[in-house]
Amino acid sequence: MKMALMPKKPFNRAPIWIAAVLTVLWLIILHLDLSFQTLLYGYKDLFEYFGRYSSPDFSNLSRYLVLLWQTLAIAFWGTILALVAGVVLAPFAARNMTPNRVVYRIARELLNLMRALPDLLLALIFVASMGLGPLPGVLALGIHTAGFLGKFFAESLERVDRGVIEAIQATGASRTQVLMYGGWPSIQREFLGNSLYILERNVRMAAVLGLVGAGGIGLALNASLETFKFRESAALIIVILVPVLAFDNLSTWLREKLK
Amino acid sequence: MKKISFHAVEKRYPNGFHALRGVSLEIEAGSFTVILGPSGAGKSTLLRLVNGLETPTAGHVAFGPTAPSRSSLRGIRSGIGMVFQQFNLVGRLSVMTNVLTGRLAHRSWLGSIFYLFRREDIAIAREALERVGLVDKAWERADRLSGGQQQRVGIARALAQRPQIILADEPVASLDPVSSDDVMQLLRGICDRDGITVLVNLHQVEHARRYADRVIGLNSGQVVFDGAPGQLDSISLNRIYHRDGAPHDELFSAALAYA
Amino acid sequence: MTNCFQLRWPTRSGLPPFAPVLSVGVVVALLAWSAPVAEVNAGHLYASIPRLIDFLRNILVMPDWKYLPQLGQKMLETLEMTFLATSIAAVISLPLSFLAARNTCPFPALFHGVRALLSLVRALPEMVWALVFVSAIGLGPLPGIMALAFVTVGFMTKFFAEAIEVVDQRAVEGVAAHGAGWLQVKIFAHLPQAWPDFIGAIMYILDHNLRGATLLGLVGAGGIGYDMIMSMRLFDYNRILVIAVAIYIVVTALDRVSDQFRARVI
Repeated sequence: MKMALMPKKPFNRAPIWIAAVLTVLWLIILHLDLSFQTLLYGYKDLFEYFGRYSSPDFSNLSRYLVLLWQTLAIAFWGTILALVAGVVLAPFAARNMTPNRVVYRIARELLNLMRALPDLLLALIFVASMGLGPLPGVLALGIHTAGFLGKFFAESLERVDRGVIEAIQATGASRTQVLMYGGWPSIQREFLGNSLYILERNVRMAAVLGLVGAGGIGLALNASLETFKFRESAALIIVILVPVLAFDNLSTWLREKLK
Repeated sequence: MKKISFHAVEKRYPNGFHALRGVSLEIEAGSFTVILGPSGAGKSTLLRLVNGLETPTAGHVAFGPTAPSRSSLRGIRSGIGMVFQQFNLVGRLSVMTNVLTGRLAHRSWLGSIFYLFRREDIAIAREALERVGLVDKAWERADRLSGGQQQRVGIARALAQRPQIILADEPVASLDPVSSDDVMQLLRGICDRDGITVLVNLHQVEHARRYADRVIGLNSGQVVFDGAPGQLDSISLNRIYHRDGAPHDELFSAALAYA
Repeated sequence: MTNCFQLRWPTRSGLPPFAPVLSVGVVVALLAWSAPVAEVNAGHLYASIPRLIDFLRNILVMPDWKYLPQLGQKMLETLEMTFLATSIAAVISLPLSFLAARNTCPFPALFHGVRALLSLVRALPEMVWALVFVSAIGLGPLPGIMALAFVTVGFMTKFFAEAIEVVDQRAVEGVAAHGAGWLQVKIFAHLPQAWPDFIGAIMYILDHNLRGATLLGLVGAGGIGYDMIMSMRLFDYNRILVIAVAIYIVVTALDRVSDQFRARVI
């Protein structure tokens, strides 16, 4: 009776990875010339600094709320724009729904491009061509996050059970019909989850876009910080925080309900 | 009604697997044919060649005197219904909608995108559901049904196409014995009453004996048996289920004796 | 009420199903209500198209080749900020996530507290944190790294905790039944199972942080963001295109690398 020999223990690569990562981190710290010392020794100053944010000043609350409403409107419109664009592009970027490889590659690259260009940069470009105001923000958010939604949707579509797709194809349905009956209905939950995630993300980004003049509350925050009006800044931060947290909870609740 | 003919079809997959090696067959219109064979014999491939889910690497499949052309694939598919081992229903959609996907080939593009159907289509779907005895479940979500029920919905979907041919790829492999009998009886009934050509892949020899007009045995991509179910003796079964390298011992014969 | 027209929907009444119609209705209503505030009108859009085209034509000029070394340096700085901030966050998030997961946290009060704190940290965009840190410790990459690390801890801990929560309880019981200590159970039962999700989360966050890091320079927190906004403000057209292309290349490259890494490790 032959006994099988135990194979040699496979070479454990983990220590190499860890060493490599630590080395890179060390090099980065050296290169950036970061002075963690001032941070460590200056922590008392930091405490004093953050203390200035206590007792926020809500005297201008009505103005802040108007800006907040604008921020939310920008986020909402931007997300809807992204949804429409994402829904249109995603089927072409899904290997099981796309008509041919060329269209697939083009759609994928287009979505990559939309994702890679930062929305802030797009906002800058649109502000330069359309002037200050919320509309450049809507377009910038819409185009940038369309890239994300398109990719998410395409990946969800690709994961649909091949058998289900084949069954509808076998009835003689056209490509679009296969998409509408086998594709989108099968990914309802992911669709909603991704859309809510992007909506949340856009509410946060819309606040920031104000910094470049694309409307919203970011401009006010920047102004108050630059003029060292800390109590006002604290109030603004709280005003930004409330809807974002509310959204966070709302989307968690919605996701639970739809399981 | 046209007969299906396979003309020396061969199928070699990209990974090198030679699924079919020169099969030539003629299936008479309106007949009930069962294909038996071990796993990997090429049964699924043979079936999927009929509605174009696979294309042959040599030879061709013809209906009547004409050979199918690429452009009429959807047209051909609309006349062929298919029933799958895993049912392949769209779980999130209702039973009725699933059956209605059988009518998609006959619907206008625009209407079907919006899930709009004509009265005739809904009537046909309802009739199909009555045939399989599931009208009372018409508005339920498809994934809430039991396995046997889902398979009957699959058959209703095929029936809704008003097909000339029904292909069934291991339709009862995932079902318990009682549901399994129900489904086989349904298929046989459809063949007898509507004169639809039925081609079924099975590995339960007992079902073949009870329901088939003609049994085709496939092994390693070649036809090794072709005759009436009464002619299925132990010699032919050995030939069908013979596996290269597997010993022909008592276990093998006993398994076939109980088949 | 049944539909008596020629076409019907596949529902009992023939009318479209209630939930989708309601959702679409609500969305359309919200859009209409918020349209004036967001100044979304077709006229404005249409009028700006020529100016947009004009602008795009302007940036398609001969790039400023002398700028490339500085561009490279800034992009490298951006990458370094991303990598460092994400690593710091990972080190903090890993232990913290066990406290933020329902099945591994010893005290429910602690669990809720940690989750609430994480919510708070996540709620503000990185830029706002960067603004605050710049105001606190001055300009440079350090406030940017701190801001990124802060927000990343918020996200990463949440992702990690969710991965820990879906761990197969039977494996945990198996390890614990053999007398493993509290920490040992975490390391030998929870960690190995959640590990692929951890890696996935880190890769995704790395990608997200690179995109965020390109913006932080806007407020003086290091990276390419500063050059980006200055070149726009000064109409330095021959730099804008190079910056955009550089960002596109680096972000896409990281995207591909992390896809490859994920495919091989998971």
